[in-house]
Amino acid sequence: MLEARNIAKSYASAEGPAPVLHDVSLTLEQGEFLAVVGRSGSGKSTLLNILCTLLAPDQGQVLYAGRDVTRLPEAELAALRRRDFAVVFQMHHLLPYLTALENVLLPFMTGLAPAPRDAVERARRCLDRVGLAGKHRRLPGRLSGGEQQRVAIARALVKEAAILFADEPTGSLDPATGREIVGLLQDLNADGLSVVMVTHDLGYASCAHRVLRMENGAPACAA
Amino acid sequence: MNLLTIPLRCARRKWPRFVLLTLVFALGATSMVALWHVSRVVGDSLERKLTAFGANILVAPKAETLAVSYGGVSLGNLLYEVRHLDEAATVAAIRSIALSANVAAVAPKLVGAATVGSEQVPVVGVRFDQEQTIKKYWRIKGLFPTRENEVVLGSTLAARLGLDFGSSFRLGGEEASVAGVLAPTGGDDDTVILADLGLAQRLFRLPGKVNFVEVSALCSGCPIEDIVAQIGGKLPGLEVKALRSVVEGRMASVHFVQHLTLAVALVILVSACAVVGFSMLSAVNERKAEIGLLRSLGYSRAGVFAIFCCEALLLGAAAGAIGALAGWGVGREVVLLLDAAGEVLPAFSLPEALAVSLGMALVAALAAAYPAAKAARIDPSAALVSL
Repeated sequence: MLEARNIAKSYASAEGPAPVLHDVSLTLEQGEFLAVVGRSGSGKSTLLNILCTLLAPDQGQVLYAGRDVTRLPEAELAALRRRDFAVVFQMHHLLPYLTALENVLLPFMTGLAPAPRDAVERARRCLDRVGLAGKHRRLPGRLSGGEQQRVAIARALVKEAAILFADEPTGSLDPATGREIVGLLQDLNADGLSVVMVTHDLGYASCAHRVLRMENGAPACAA
Repeated sequence: MNLLTIPLRCARRKWPRFVLLTLVFALGATSMVALWHVSRVVGDSLERKLTAFGANILVAPKAETLAVSYGGVSLGNLLYEVRHLDEAATVAAIRSIALSANVAAVAPKLVGAATVGSEQVPVVGVRFDQEQTIKKYWRIKGLFPTRENEVVLGSTLAARLGLDFGSSFRLGGEEASVAGVLAPTGGDDDTVILADLGLAQRLFRLPGKVNFVEVSALCSGCPIEDIVAQIGGKLPGLEVKALRSVVEGRMASVHFVQHLTLAVALVILVSACAVVGFSMLSAVNERKAEIGLLRSLGYSRAGVFAIFCCEALLLGAAAGAIGALAGWGVGREVVLLLDAAGEVLPAFSLPEALAVSLGMALVAALAAAYPAAKAARIDPSAALVSL
């Protein structure tokens, strides 16, 4: 479904290019739950950003549905992110001036046409599913950290994407709420959604079908 | 819920910033609108005052001339077939043009010579009410005529004939009395007898006829060429020409006032645009994570650009609406304060207010274009990681 081939990435620094990833290859099958673990600076978030097309690699390819998405023009990349990929971040990144429902509907508010009625209904159902029934009209400031992350997950669910990318989704949550969120991701995966989750917590990673351990910008071993 | 929901909700949530920016921009719009009203009224008023220094359009029969030369020696131009104009028809035609509101005075004239004692003197028949409109610089010893057999003498001629106001004398076959003597003007009026047009027509046996008509037109609202063309259309076969030097001299003064106010208004507007631009730039920096999120959700660069431009459009439209209303009020007060309007005060016009609102919206969007473009270029992953 998704394949990364020989990915390399460097960031510019005062001392010249600092390699972050070198020669990383991986595959994600349909319906698979892949956890990427590693210490801070191991390159796991950079890898996730490259996989979900937010970042272009210096070398290598990311193939999705047989197409190299690293070379797509900007408009096609935007369409891919809007349609097929969903991303959940450590910081839930909700727009503070939109209600929970409006935040979930953001993927459908990209143009002047109003969000379709069925999308609004689906957004309500997604919020209900992540346990936020009755809180649709609340602004993010009136939700707890865990609830905000649930809104972010509902936002990823609403567009019925093919792959959910989660970058440290439990990083800013207490352990109990973190477990709930990972449980939610497991439920979604059980329904057929492919998931790539970056985490530094091996406990959460154990819920995945497969774990990719990153060390110094390259896979250390697969479990 | 669509793309516009984002800037609208953002403006509502951050209303103190939005209100402050709107007020700053509205201040610029108010200044512009007020200055525009003031300059328009002052320009019109100034032009009306300048109208007192002469006509700017001449309507006359087409004079046919023939250049005569013989044996290589030029004998000058031969003027033939001098025709006269029908006073009533010509004046009525001029008064009936579409831009008649811009016609301040229509002054017909009949020129000829008549005997005073043993001397031939030039006599100009005029309508004194119209003549005084275009020659407000006239100063008179005595009074302007109120009866048809009363005349006004030019200062030089009066001295030469030994006549003063109150004197009676024979003018051609008519008995005339001197109602007043003009103070020296330095022009042709010093050496002529200015008689009522009716008296002149009787003297020269040309009832209802005139030689030419001078028109004083106000040109601040339209080009002089339009008025000339309209008079020409009503009076085919006559020569209608703009007295360029008079028009240009008069309009230079009016345009100076208008250009000065325009320059001041532009400086204010540019300052307001700079405030909006800098504020949007700072908003873009503050909202990097938001931009990164939107990009990760599939918003295109154009979509992000549109969000920031919509915010500016909204701000500009609100500021324009406030500015149109406040500018009209301020302009009115300034005009009253300067006592510059005479009878005409700036009028509020809804279409003008809408145009100002739309214009300010576009200007604000233009001011926000660079910050919006910067927002659209933000690398989404860097924006998300940066926080």
